[in-house]
Amino acid sequence: MAEEFEPKIVAFLCKWCSSAGSDLAGVSRMKYPPNVVPITVMCSGSVSPLYILSAFKEGADGVLVSGCHPGDCHYIKGNYYARRRIALVKKLLEYIGLEPQRFQMSWVSAAEGKKYTQIIEDFVNQLKPLGSQTKLRRNV
Amino acid sequence: MVNLEDLKMEAKRILDEGRVKYIIGYQRGTNGVMSVPAFIKKPEDVEKLIWDPTCIYNLTRFLVDEKRRKARQKEPDQRPVGIIAKGCDTRAIVVLLQEEFIKREDVFVFGISCENTGVLDEKKIAEKVQGKKVKKVEFGENKNFIITTENGSIDVSAKEVLAERCLECKANYPVIGDISFGEKVASGLTQPFLSLEKMESLSGEERWRFWEQQFNKCIRCYACRSVCPMCYCEECVVDTINFAVTADTSAEEKAQKIKWVEKSPVTSENFIYHLVRAMHLAGRCIDCGECERVCPVEIPLRFLNKKLEKEAKELFDYDVGFDPEKPSLVSCFKDEDPEDFIR
Repeated sequence: MAEEFEPKIVAFLCKWCSSAGSDLAGVSRMKYPPNVVPITVMCSGSVSPLYILSAFKEGADGVLVSGCHPGDCHYIKGNYYARRRIALVKKLLEYIGLEPQRFQMSWVSAAEGKKYTQIIEDFVNQLKPLGSQTKLRRNV
Repeated sequence: MVNLEDLKMEAKRILDEGRVKYIIGYQRGTNGVMSVPAFIKKPEDVEKLIWDPTCIYNLTRFLVDEKRRKARQKEPDQRPVGIIAKGCDTRAIVVLLQEEFIKREDVFVFGISCENTGVLDEKKIAEKVQGKKVKKVEFGENKNFIITTENGSIDVSAKEVLAERCLECKANYPVIGDISFGEKVASGLTQPFLSLEKMESLSGEERWRFWEQQFNKCIRCYACRSVCPMCYCEECVVDTINFAVTADTSAEEKAQKIKWVEKSPVTSENFIYHLVRAMHLAGRCIDCGECERVCPVEIPLRFLNKKLEKEAKELFDYDVGFDPEKPSLVSCFKDEDPEDFIR
């Protein structure tokens, strides 16, 4: 029997909230799919579109950017800039024909371990029927 | 109508008074009907200046070059540079001012209104005259162009031969200008993003096939980057110019230098290059269409940049290149920015 497709997700998590949120999920022993590769960044606003594109190029099946809720940014307004920029990246990726489910953004605070596990679970379930991401994958 | 004699007279006066270093404008090229950029330093040379539908280029790029040249000079001439700019070109200047790349006092703008027409598309003209040699193209009285070929002249409606971008022009008048020529005519444009609709109506898979085919053609000559007035980064993400490899460079140092994009022109790398470029131009591209014009393999780059211009307008109500005082699109935010895509 063929093994079920397991998507690989790259998650850019803000150090001050989402990263702590994923830690909380871990230390609370909540169960969630092991498909995610977390990368801690200093702020969701520091996530360059190039990081996202590179993740897809290196073979990620999905990319998640997660930051603090509006008003909670450690740097006061980084997540507002992120919201604007990521909206444009999302529109652009959809426009060139990448499945919109492959790129998502979320607000997860340090207390929302439960929400984090839920987001990852839903993300994995959405990616499974899509199969492997080959469109932007490196072919050199 | 813009009177060319007035333009020459004013240019001569400004040069005579010594208010500008030189004037960047258009002159007749040596090959056929098209114009080429002109750099007028002496007042008597203003006779070379022309203004007709063949003045298609966005000369703003030369302001970027001028700034670099000035930075290298020991005792630079502090006078401004004169530039002849159409509506779209003045908006490029506004974006450069917005980003404080150039200062207002470093540029003297001769704004020219296109007055309901615009500039032509070389390919469309070639199709129109079917192999005959074009000698002259002039503005007509009523939204038309008069094309003179070796077998007499023909009268063509401007719509048929206008550049694609001119058909969707939002401001065919100069938005800034020290001296302006021509009248400000409302374009009466109701659907500024009409050309995008066909692409947007396709399914995701069809769009993917289209762009894959397009970017597969790319030979990475970077002509689009060279011609773009907004592509002024000191180091582009696709080249690693400030990483000098010498005999002392260790393997570890080489390995640790991040290489975001490979130089080889393969589809995946071309995608990264063009998408990054599109993102960098979001809220900055004024749709001058130069990237598409210079592309040797005819990639419709306008469709990519125009899309983000549309999203900027629809999501954030942001108009590109009208107010030099406003912050640029991604360096500001509003509390009510859409976040329906965020969980």
